[in-house]
Amino acid sequence: MSAAALEISGLSKSFGGLHVTRDVSMRVAPGERRLIIGPNGAGKTTLFNQITGDLKPDRGSIRLFGEEMVSLKTQNRIAKGLARTYQILTLFPHDTLLHNVVLSLLGLRKERWDCWRTLARRTDLFDLAAQALAQVGLSEGGDRLVGETSYGERRRLELAMALAQKPKLLLLDEPLAGLSQDERNSVSALLTTIPRDVTIIMIEHDMDVALAFAEQITVLHFGEVIVEGTRAEVVADPRTREIYLGE
Amino acid sequence: MNRNAILALLGVVLLGFVPFVMDDFFINLTSQILCYALFAVSLNLIVGYGGMTSLGHAAYFGIAAYGVTWLHTVAGWGQLSSAIGAVAVATFTAAVFGVLALRASGLSFLMITLALGQIVWGVAYRWVGLTQGDNGMRFPVRPEPLGFNINGATSFYYFSLIVFVVSVYIIWRVVQSPFGAGLRGTKDQPRRMRMLGHNVWMIRWVAFIMSGFWAAIAGLLFVYYQKFVSPYTVSLQQSAEVLLMTILGGAGTLTGPMVGAVIVTLVKNVASSYVERWNALLGLIFVLAVVFMPTGLVPGFRKLWKRRTAPPPASTPALTAKPSTEHAS
Repeated sequence: MSAAALEISGLSKSFGGLHVTRDVSMRVAPGERRLIIGPNGAGKTTLFNQITGDLKPDRGSIRLFGEEMVSLKTQNRIAKGLARTYQILTLFPHDTLLHNVVLSLLGLRKERWDCWRTLARRTDLFDLAAQALAQVGLSEGGDRLVGETSYGERRRLELAMALAQKPKLLLLDEPLAGLSQDERNSVSALLTTIPRDVTIIMIEHDMDVALAFAEQITVLHFGEVIVEGTRAEVVADPRTREIYLGE
Repeated sequence: MNRNAILALLGVVLLGFVPFVMDDFFINLTSQILCYALFAVSLNLIVGYGGMTSLGHAAYFGIAAYGVTWLHTVAGWGQLSSAIGAVAVATFTAAVFGVLALRASGLSFLMITLALGQIVWGVAYRWVGLTQGDNGMRFPVRPEPLGFNINGATSFYYFSLIVFVVSVYIIWRVVQSPFGAGLRGTKDQPRRMRMLGHNVWMIRWVAFIMSGFWAAIAGLLFVYYQKFVSPYTVSLQQSAEVLLMTILGGAGTLTGPMVGAVIVTLVKNVASSYVERWNALLGLIFVLAVVFMPTGLVPGFRKLWKRRTAPPPASTPALTAKPSTEHAS
């Protein structure tokens, strides 16, 4: 069997007496679209933070394409093909959209240590950045400052920055949060155009979009995996209803 | 871009004319300003671009000054090797102090740099066998770079100007480079930078070392100018002054720290002969700047200038009236 895109086993994390991740194990196949759902405080973003290395788990293992990640620093995990977007926009507000994407491109390039050549003259990087912006529907106005753009455009920029790195595993933390219905539709349409060589794990509350997008669903509750399976299995499972409807 | 280059060139040409229109006192004063301007620009690399406020930057400035004096007068090294040795020691110190200070960020970073700076001051003040303590050390004779005599006010001024222009040009290249963009990124969003694959700690450390290196170059200029170094050179007051220059002029701009250096040095040297409490005057200037132009003088005036020259939209009278009312308030 080929290595899973992401294989988590026995992952645990607690802050004092609060167990935010309890013995979580999951396996995501290459090319899969996985959805993680769960009520507020279920530990979804905390799980992402451990996958990316923002948080150090107490126990357990995280393997990216068969390679152990737990002891690696965040930036080294990114170099292995991991990318993520944030639920709370984390952009460089005083710079242009293009510059934001260029910073993302530099993250994986040795030229980031270049102390001499003028970045603004690196048309190769800016062309690549423009392509990444075009991919998310921002082909116009890439020279505007992030602070002057709309919320919807910033959400797209978050995506462009992640996609520009051509990741193998992409973590999307509520990519539709705060968007209007129209924008939701267009961003979710955009998500379906991402090629299958990118494995995607998504946290999302918009069930219509999320269920249409995902093949496999993991339900988290109080840091624990409660239900896991295909769309139909999870929807039919009584425990899902119990968590969401409190029955 | 191009306009900035022309302005910079114009500035250098104007500076080149200083000895023709001023007497020795003001030529020397301008040399001193150039030295402090480079010092402030070096500090700005971490304060303005990296978001790391240091209160111990005089350490590298002073270690270079003490280092070159000690190597030349006590160890008996030649001028050039003393200068290289002193800059190397100061830069190495910055590398070690950087490792210690970068364990923290924000206020804790500031406190650690302050403490490390005080250690250096303590050594300079108390280790009399090494530094001659409070008496300070004399640096007997200025070097003769490439055989040129720089003992006169004018020749030393041109020497300082060349060192200053070359140094600032290199720093400017760094700021415009991919590394500079990364450094500014770590100031705004360190977590995101990590998430994009950047090694935030390493970027900060490299910037810290660079900053120490250029402070050391300024320290050399200082001791060549003064021909004397004392514990005051590595004191907290010195660190605070250079930080004041940087913030007053505008951290995060290349010209801001230079403007700050001009104001602070002028107040110190010129106003102090008329006003006894020049420190209070400096404080007053700083308070006014913080109240009216919190980002510093250069960005503040730039904003004013933009507002005046901006193409007037529909409500022209109200808009042009605005800056003047702000002055009055």
